[in-house]
Amino acid sequence: MNHVPSHILSADARPLTRRALAKLRTRKALLAAGKRLFTERGYAEATVRDIARAAGMSTGAVFANFTDKSDLFGEILANDNEALSETMRQIADIQKRSVREALLVVLAAGYAFHLKQLPLLQAAISVSWSHSPEDEARSRAGLRRIQSIIEEILHRGQTAGEIRKDADIDLIVDMICTAYRSNYRLAAYDDFDLDALSQRLERQLDVILNAVKV
Amino acid sequence: MGRECEGDVSLSGVRVARKQATRERVLAAARDLFVEQGYEGATIRMIAERAGVATGSVFTTFTSKLEILRAVMEERLDGLYTELDNLAPHLRGSIADRLCSIMAVHYDFEMKRPRLFTAYLAANFEWTDGAPVITFGNNPKLRGMLRDVLNHGLSNGEVRAGADIETFIEIVLSAYAMNYRRAAQEGYSPSELIGLMDKQISLAFRGVGAP
Repeated sequence: MNHVPSHILSADARPLTRRALAKLRTRKALLAAGKRLFTERGYAEATVRDIARAAGMSTGAVFANFTDKSDLFGEILANDNEALSETMRQIADIQKRSVREALLVVLAAGYAFHLKQLPLLQAAISVSWSHSPEDEARSRAGLRRIQSIIEEILHRGQTAGEIRKDADIDLIVDMICTAYRSNYRLAAYDDFDLDALSQRLERQLDVILNAVKV
Repeated sequence: MGRECEGDVSLSGVRVARKQATRERVLAAARDLFVEQGYEGATIRMIAERAGVATGSVFTTFTSKLEILRAVMEERLDGLYTELDNLAPHLRGSIADRLCSIMAVHYDFEMKRPRLFTAYLAANFEWTDGAPVITFGNNPKLRGMLRDVLNHGLSNGEVRAGADIETFIEIVLSAYAMNYRRAAQEGYSPSELIGLMDKQISLAFRGVGAP
């Protein structure tokens, strides 16, 4: 008990915790309302005011919790990305088959995740071309999680003698990630479903992996 | 009587010509503003002001800012196609080298107005209620040239028989577009973009090249 600072144990700690909890609840409600409205309307059309109203709060509540709309949007994407990359990592860890198979199931999990809320992803990609350096850093950190999973699978392939030792892994990761992400366009505009996206990715992986196989 | 008829004809002719002139003024103003302010920063009102027309006249020609952007991007294709035509007779070297040259021409051309191009790429994913306003990667001339070079590789044995040429083209085009992020976010120069694309092409080409 010695390491617990005394003010936490004191009586006035209680209201503070309650306030912190209330703040957390507010954030959660705003994030949920934001996610729903961004998905329904896209980034530009979902206003801070509408998001606040949908969460049953004032516009002021949004700005008390987030610097601005893009901060709220960025946090929604970051939370999603964390959940998705966690799923992908679990799949990658239990996936002991070939590099090709492992990449396919891991990235198909991404397609399955984003297809359920495609307009949100479209908005994210669109905004990402011109957002601030802070938002860019945050979105890059999110992408980095997925890239590192791909990287691990490729390294495993090198160890297993499937992929050439001298292969430029960073370049391959980048190209796989780019192909994976570009395919979302087809989901948005050509109604590609999970199967169609996966089949396309499979062909792309075949070409890329063929270039670096042993 | 005859004069009046003629008058009617030329009146509608004038109207058409005026509408065309408005369209061109709007496009020129929009192109400049997109380059100066970026796509998001340029409003329809600003475009109208710069073009010296009423905001309402903009909407008689275009339904949205996105549609103006698309028209601006379509107009620029004429210039790009001219450069590609100039390049075609000079294509030399290995199949991979030729592919690299074709893509390099694109970077040199688009990077003269990088903000315009990134606006175009971003708008590509913009939320629209229905069909896409802009179809991206749909530069038929570029696809055709890449395909021609790869087919040439099939006949001279540099490309493996049965190689998935269309998928290879998709990979190259998606990398090509995504590389602009490095220009937008990391300040890559045209020659750095070209260097990166060369690496990507030579890697992907091993996937379709003869062993």
